[in-house]
Amino acid sequence: MNALPRLLWAWMLTLLLAGHAYAQGQFKPVPALRARVTDEIGMLTPDQRQKLEGVLADYEAKTGSQIAVLLVASTEPEAIEQYSIRVADAWKLGRKGVDDGVLLVVAKDNPKALRRLRIEAGRGVQGVLTDAQSKRILEDTIAPHFRQQDWYGGLVAGVGAIATLLNQEKFPAPPAQPTAQQHEDDGPNVVVSIFLILVGITVLRSVFRPRRTRLAQPGRYGSGWGSGTTGFILGNILANAAHQHDNDRWRGGGFSGGFSDGGGGGFSGGGGGSFDGGGASGDW
Amino acid sequence: MKPSLFTRWAGMLLAAVLAATLLSGCGYNQFQAKDEATKAAWAEVVNQYQRRADLIPNLVNTVKGYATHEKDTLEAVTRARAAATSFQITPEVLNNPEAFQKFQQVQGELSSALSRLMAVSENYPQLKADASFRDLQSQLEGTENRITVARQRYIAAVQDYNVTVRSFPTNLTAMMFGYQAKPSFTVENEKSISTAPTVNFGK
Repeated sequence: MNALPRLLWAWMLTLLLAGHAYAQGQFKPVPALRARVTDEIGMLTPDQRQKLEGVLADYEAKTGSQIAVLLVASTEPEAIEQYSIRVADAWKLGRKGVDDGVLLVVAKDNPKALRRLRIEAGRGVQGVLTDAQSKRILEDTIAPHFRQQDWYGGLVAGVGAIATLLNQEKFPAPPAQPTAQQHEDDGPNVVVSIFLILVGITVLRSVFRPRRTRLAQPGRYGSGWGSGTTGFILGNILANAAHQHDNDRWRGGGFSGGFSDGGGGGFSGGGGGSFDGGGASGDW
Repeated sequence: MKPSLFTRWAGMLLAAVLAATLLSGCGYNQFQAKDEATKAAWAEVVNQYQRRADLIPNLVNTVKGYATHEKDTLEAVTRARAAATSFQITPEVLNNPEAFQKFQQVQGELSSALSRLMAVSENYPQLKADASFRDLQSQLEGTENRITVARQRYIAAVQDYNVTVRSFPTNLTAMMFGYQAKPSFTVENEKSISTAPTVNFGK
């Protein structure tokens, strides 16, 4: 006489589990937000990932805006836009009320129809990071690198272009940076950084001269940030690399959630920003 | 007299508290919150459709400069836009399935007219290379995606509301106050309104 209810329970449980599994199996699940750079497929070497993470963490510490990068194999059966809005909704990049989060998604093995690149722009950044600008970043800045399998270069250039655009908007300042010790080693750092940035810009100018017609033609693309930004970011990275022994700098990086190590283990996650599907999709 | 005044006050207070608990227990407040949520989601849908409508005059003008032989397609877009923007969106639309369907229809017609225009523009390499066309194209694409997202969110908000309307015991509250299930976007409607563009190779 106990058998019937028990059977019923078992049946319901099976149904529940099956339903759950079905729902899970249908679409690619949203990965947990543990770091600013989420590389599911090893597109970047650990070293590159860490450097990019450092640049993004630094940018957030300086400006308060959150930029995250997600690298996945494929978003099938969804189009990249459908997947990326789910990720953006779950991650909530950007500050609450400011909505200054940006998500850059790469789905390396997506079929052409579903697209392989996506910039998801938070509501607050769309004044400067318009759909048209997002599209240009994807097509003119990232795609040329990706066509040569230069994943890292493309991501760094793309992130740099996004950051340059965001800098044009006056967002509220980030929360005050706590550590006093940081100010001491800021001095030499800034000098070295500026020097290395200049070196980076000069080197890239000469390297990219043939492409400047497309990337940095003034008038057509406004400010012509193509090579300058890349130089800025690369210079920054060089500076970071030069100071990598100085791990404390990242450790106390002023990031509100307590950035516990260089790899971004203590990343506190999204700040509650909202997204409306604005941005652009592209390919390479 | 004094004690009776006191008891009257106490009684009224008790009644108010009882009513508040009863109403919130029956989901009255829930209905208000969810109703507002659907309205907000709807406002976003309308907002994004409006954004698209605002892009169209520029787009049409840009295409006109290059694609001189596509008068029909351009006129179709202009007409569909006029129909879509002249459609009066009142709060009634949300509770009136017919008006809702009409709204979907005019917007759907504009969508298909636009997609025909974009398909046609593929034939004009100079147009495709035009920087302002490229920008408009990506803005349009972004806005279409925003519309999709806004619609999805509206569907989710309505679903939440409708579940409350239909499930026990909140359905009793719904019945009492005359709350009805709200119409939502459906795929069937979409299919019937978006007539596939006809491809004519024999031209």
